[in-house]
Parts: sequence; C-alpha cells; structure tokens
Amino acid sequence: MADELRIIDNDITQYIVVALGNEQYGIDIKYIDNIVRMQRITRVPKSAEYFRGVINLRGEVVPVMSLRVKMGLPEGEITGKSRIIILKVDQSGSIGVLVDEVKKVYNLRADDIEENLSHDSKSGVQSFISGVGKVENGLVSLLDLSTIIGEAD
Amino acid sequence: MDVGQYLGIFLDESQEHIQALNDNLLTLEQDPENEDSINEIFRAAHSLKGMAGTMGYKRLQRLTHDTEDVFSAIRGGQMKVTSNLIDILFQALDAIQGYVDTIRDTSDEGENDNESVIAELGKFLNGGGGEGDEGEEDEGAAESPAEKAAAPVSSNSEKALYRKIVLEEAQKDVMKDAVVADKKVYGFTVYIAESCMLKAARAFLVFKAVEELGEIIVSNPSSQDIEDEKFDLSFSIFVVTAEPIDKVVAAIKSVSEIEEVAGEEYDETMIDNNGTETGAAGTEEAAEDESTTAPEAESAEVSVAPAAEPKAERRASSSSSSKKAAPAKKPVASQTIRVDIDKLDVLMNLVSELIIAKNALVSSAAQMSGGSNSESQAITENVEYLESVTTNLHESVMKVRMVPIESALQRFPRMIRDLEKKLGKRMQLTITGEETELDRTVVDQIGDPLMHLLRNSADHGLETPEVRSGRGKPETGSIFLNAYQEGNNVIIEVGDDGNGIDVEAVRQKIIERNYMSEEQAMQLNDKEVIDVLFDPGFSMAKQVTDISGRGVGLDVVKSNIEQLGGDVEVKTKLGEGSTFIVRLPLTLAIIQALMVLVGGEKYAIALGNIQTIEDIPVSEIRLVENKEVIQLRGSVIPIIRLSDMLDAPEIERDNENLIVVVVKKGDSLAGLVVDELMGQQEVVIKSLGKYINTSRIISGATILGDGEVALIIDSNALF
Repeated sequence: MADELRIIDNDITQYIVVALGNEQYGIDIKYIDNIVRMQRITRVPKSAEYFRGVINLRGEVVPVMSLRVKMGLPEGEITGKSRIIILKVDQSGSIGVLVDEVKKVYNLRADDIEENLSHDSKSGVQSFISGVGKVENGLVSLLDLSTIIGEAD
Repeated sequence: MDVGQYLGIFLDESQEHIQALNDNLLTLEQDPENEDSINEIFRAAHSLKGMAGTMGYKRLQRLTHDTEDVFSAIRGGQMKVTSNLIDILFQALDAIQGYVDTIRDTSDEGENDNESVIAELGKFLNGGGGEGDEGEEDEGAAESPAEKAAAPVSSNSEKALYRKIVLEEAQKDVMKDAVVADKKVYGFTVYIAESCMLKAARAFLVFKAVEELGEIIVSNPSSQDIEDEKFDLSFSIFVVTAEPIDKVVAAIKSVSEIEEVAGEEYDETMIDNNGTETGAAGTEEAAEDESTTAPEAESAEVSVAPAAEPKAERRASSSSSSKKAAPAKKPVASQTIRVDIDKLDVLMNLVSELIIAKNALVSSAAQMSGGSNSESQAITENVEYLESVTTNLHESVMKVRMVPIESALQRFPRMIRDLEKKLGKRMQLTITGEETELDRTVVDQIGDPLMHLLRNSADHGLETPEVRSGRGKPETGSIFLNAYQEGNNVIIEVGDDGNGIDVEAVRQKIIERNYMSEEQAMQLNDKEVIDVLFDPGFSMAKQVTDISGRGVGLDVVKSNIEQLGGDVEVKTKLGEGSTFIVRLPLTLAIIQALMVLVGGEKYAIALGNIQTIEDIPVSEIRLVENKEVIQLRGSVIPIIRLSDMLDAPEIERDNENLIVVVVKKGDSLAGLVVDELMGQQEVVIKSLGKYINTSRIISGATILGDGEVALIIDSNALF
C-alpha cells in the first residue's frame, strides 16, 4: 500500500499555469522560487529586447524578462493581474519572468503529458515547449525552461 | 581518525611550505652555499612530510620523504647542489604541488606515483647522480667480508644510518639502564637486497630473529611503517640484549635476501650523542665519521660546504631535527589569526545589508526633516552618526579582506626560470610593489591573467640573445611587474624591454588570417590594431609553442580582468618593448558613488574615477573629427552624452548649460553629460547575474535607500 502511494507521488508533476493573452502555459513548480506582484523595474540599456530590466527582490538584483516578447508575442499591458515568477533553475542565481496572469496549479500525471510534439506546426514558439499536458478543460503547453532561460546568454 | 576537518589547514599550510621550497630553491640556484636556504628547505620539506603522513596521503608522504632525504644529505654536506639537482628538485616540487592540487579538488591524492621523480631523487641519494654508485658498492663489498669474519662490524658512516636516529629521552633511559644492568646496546642498520620482493616480510623475519635474542627498543622507520612496507631498502634498529654483537648480526644475516648489516655497540656517551653526531665527547666514531665523510664529499666533486664545515652544518641539522616535535618558530609572535574567507564573505554581506538599511533610513529621515521640530533634528543627527559608523565599519571590513598581492606573484620567479630554460632566452624578472593590497578575491583571481602576460613577454616580447646583442641591448632581457595604487584603483604593469608590438605585422596578420578585409584593416589606427590582439581566437604566434600562441591568451586575459571589474591596455614601442597596464578596482563590494539622473533614470558613477564636475555652456562645445569636445583648463576633452550611450528616454532639459562629469582613466579625461546631480552615496555593488547581457559600461547595479535599483556606470569602459 505504502509503496503504491509513493509510486503515484513520483508520477505526478505540479505545474503552475500562467496566461499570456489567450494562451495558457505550464511551468514546472520545482523551478519556481517565488511569485511576486508587478513592481518597479529598472531598465537595463543595451540588453536583449525581451528583458524588461532588473528588480530588487529582497535585497538581490534579479533580471526580469517578458515571457510574451521572448515567445514572440507582442508586449502586453501591465495590469493588476500581472505577476513576476521568480525561477531558480540552477545554482547561478534567479531570473524573473513577467506573465499576464497566474491561473492555478495543476497536478499532471506522466501519462497526461504528451512529449513528442511534431516540430512542423506554426511559429517558432514550440521550441520553448517541452510537451503538452491534458487538463480537464483543454490543453496546456508546458514550458521548457532551460531553453527559455538558456538562450539569454 | 577523521582528518577531513583539518583539510583546509592542511591545504593552506602545505601551500605555504611549497612556496617556501620554491623561493629557497631559487635562492639556492643562485647561491648554492646559502645555508639559511638549505635549512629552510629542509624544514619545509620535513613539515610537509609530517602533514602528509598525518593526513594519510601516502604517495605525497613518500615523495616528500625522498625530497627531505636529499636535503638532509645536502645539509650534511654529502651532496652538492648542482643545476641538475635543482632541476630534479623542481620536478619533485611540481609533483608535490600536483598532489596538493589533486587533494584540493578531490580530497584525495590521486593515483600518480611519480615514480620517475622518485627514481631520479633516489639516484642522487645513492651517490651524486649515479657517479658514486660503484664506489659505494665496492666499499660495501670490501667491508662485508670483514663483517662476516669479525664482530666489530662496519661502522662506515654512510651505512650506519642508525647513528642519525634521534633518540627520545625515554628510549635513552631504557638503553642506559640496560648498559648499567650489564646488557649490551647495539645499533644496526639492515640493508635488504634490491631484488627483494617482500621487503616487509624480510624485515619482519629480522625483527623476529632479533627479538629471540633481545629486545628492540627503537626502530626507524617505525615497526608499523615497516609492516606497511613504507621504507626503502634499509631500516635501523636499536637492540638491548645480553648476547655479543656477532651473534645478533649472524641472526639477522640468517634471514635470506639481507644484503648487509652495519652495526656497533653503544656506550652511554654514544647513546646521549646519537642523532647529533657532533661527537661532543670526541668519541672515536665521530672522528671516524668525519674522516670517512670528507674524502667522500670530495670524490663527489667538492661538497657544497667545504670539508671543514660539515661539522657545523650537522650541528645545525641536528638541532632542528631534534626539535621535530616543536618546529622552529620565528621569535616574534605574529599578531595574526587565520580566518576562513567564507566568514569574511558573510561579514561583508552583512555590512552590505546594513548599508542598504542605512540608506533606506537616510532617505526616510530626509523626508521627515521637513518638519523642523527638535525631534526630527535629533533623528537627522543620529542618522548622520550612524552613517559615519557604517562607513568606518565598511572600511574596516574591507581592510580585513585586503591582502598583499604578493601571494599571487610568488610563483612567477620560478615560472620565468623555467621559461628561460625552455625558450633558450636569458631574462631577468623584476617585481616591485608586492606589498600593494587588493581584495582577497581579486588577488586569488589575478594570478592567471598576469601569468599569461608574463609568458607573453617572455615568449613574444623578448628577442633571442643573438638578436638582442645585435640590437645593442644587453643579452639578458628584462621583464618587469610593477604594482601600485592609484586612487581607487590598483595598477599592475607587466612589460619587457623586448621587441614591442609590430603594428604593421599585426595588420598584415589580420589580413592574412582573413580576420578582416584588407580595406577594413588598413583603416584601423594603431590602437585599434593592437586591440585586435585581445580578440578571441586571434593569435600572432608564428609557430604554436606550448608557452603561448594557441589563440587563447590575451582574450582570456582581457575577459578575466574585466570579470574582476578591471581593464587592460597596452603601451608599446617597436624595438623598445611593450607594457600591459592592468587596472583593478580596489574593492569589489562597496564604493562611494556620485548619483546622477540621465533621462529620468538614476545611475551611479564611482567617485574614485571622477576628476571634477563642470557646468559648460552649450556654446563652448566644439567639433573635432565629428566628435564633440570641450576645452577645459587648456586640455581638450571628448564629450560623451550619456543619454545616447544608454538609449535613455528623451526628456526636456535646459539647453543652455550642460552638466559635465569629468572622469579620468590614467592620463586621459572624458566628460560625461548628465541631466542632474543627485549627490554622493555609498553604494553596494550587486551583479546583474549571468542571464542579462548589457553594455560594458554598466558594471553592476545597486539598491537605493527607497528600494529602487540603480545601475552603476563603469566610466573606465568609456575610454
């Protein structure tokens, strides 16, 4: 019985689902350090266009990128629902991604996730997608964080 | 025993010892008779061996043991310092360094046995690099029959290693008691045949045979080490027995594969004097000892210390080896303690936090001071007091982190020596300003870039002796490294009196390598051509040597130095030499800065780089080569509009006068146009992290009193 439970636990990944316009994207919760409200962002000159700048997160300077611009979408309005998701992917520091809205947390089982995507569908966006998860009311694209962050170099 | 907790200390201390060995070997190479150096080397090798043993690093221990043996032979006057020997010793030192490096990385000493180095050392030990070998064997052969025939066994001092054992008081007492009790005390050194495969087993049999006749009081190496086969071909023992010496010798020789036994009977005086070998009581042995050593020393091509001196030298040696337990300390007690750098980092971070909090308090107090009542007056005063305390605290912590740059430079004399041999050039390295202090982090990381620059000077800069004499320069090229402080920066100049950079040759190479089109290349001015040398993937070397010229070099130097917040430039004159000027910030963490507004955004400029602040009427701006300049007290200064450099939002401003912050770098000045001055502030430098790339002129960010992030402008990057 106990063994069975453990297997089930291992099988489930939690994703936070965020909205960019009408689209929904899932971010693996294990990379998320914090979610903060929109705050004053200091522009950094000559940085890549998808970087909004840097913020002060509890005394640390953390760069923030616009997930919209990074995904090739037009820059959106900042609203009361805008959030900065602070990601900690490896040891080398945090990075924030700006999203339109944080929706909810989904538990996805491994068999709910389709990883083999055909790579010939529309824009270049899907290169940032590691898979698609089935949720009760539709599909969620799961973000491949290492490509999103890694390309910043 | 869990020694893990001592690993840090072990690494620190072994590094110090290795450095001492290095320095003194270099001295010894110049001055082969320098007794102080020989003693210092012996002490360092001995401590290293001891530490390695404690930590259980067997290979390292073996190597240091052999090294120590060589030095002890040198000190004893049995060996002379030759350039050959120095080479081998340097190799051994490199191998030791290799072990220590491996230990630092993996906590384990690795698998490398360094057999070849040990074999080389062994060769020297067995008689002056091979020459003495035969002679010694002959002697041995001549003596062994005598030994077999009559009891008074060989007392050839070379063989009688037991004489070198330093006896502890307790052991002496046991032996003296034995003498009083009418028993005999013998010292033996047993030699096992070189071909023997099971040295430990043979030694065990010897022990067993001897213990049947008497008691073994002392053994060197210890019986444990012998059991673990941690000895070469010989071991020495002291035996207390009632039997005559020839019976004991016979018993030892009954064990097969025992080549030779040296031994003699000890009386009380000899017991007392053992290990000191100075023969205070003028015993026969001591006299004999000297008479045998002296000719041998001569046969090994004139000893380091003339034959009359071994006595004095040995006295020095014995006094230090008898103090084994308490290694010689410098008489003046040092007023320092070792502190883990991590603890200092924590302290520095706390000070940073404190300063951020103080800045927040300052800005709240400033808002309150509108009400001019006595309460707000008191708050303002107290905040000012707090400000001065935190500033002093910061300075003190920073000073704690400052170390002389010396530790990064220590390895260079040795490196230049090695390069000299490798390149067949003659060169002399002069270092000045080793005492210049820098943040520990910078000192730790500046070594590699400086090494590249020095190698570059040695390899590309200096000409061969023939060319040099042809040009009327001294055959020995000089390489220099000068460190000094200049304002908030530390400058390190590395240069040579060699060929200098041939700008036209570089230009040709740029074209040849298709690095740029011919047209582009011809348009570059001299400085721009030289800058190409710092580009990744561009190497000038005509042939790839293993010293430099693999296309990694100057670009790595540049990026390493920039990572430390510094920069590097070159001054060169063809035929006369080049100088690389490395400029480093004094501190990494906290600086005094001038806060300015540009396009509504706040930026910080390090105060140390600012020369003056000027109010300049727009009408005074002139155009030179399409660039804006102003004339200031006789000099022409280029104007940089920060709003353009930073793509700052356009805002309306007073168009009649410009606020110009004049910054300096070395001898050059530049004027930065800003919109508004906001005053001076102490700022804590934070990195922007690896994810976001920006212009080189943004060197970091800081958090202001109100929590806002402001970027820091590195004015050195504007030149």
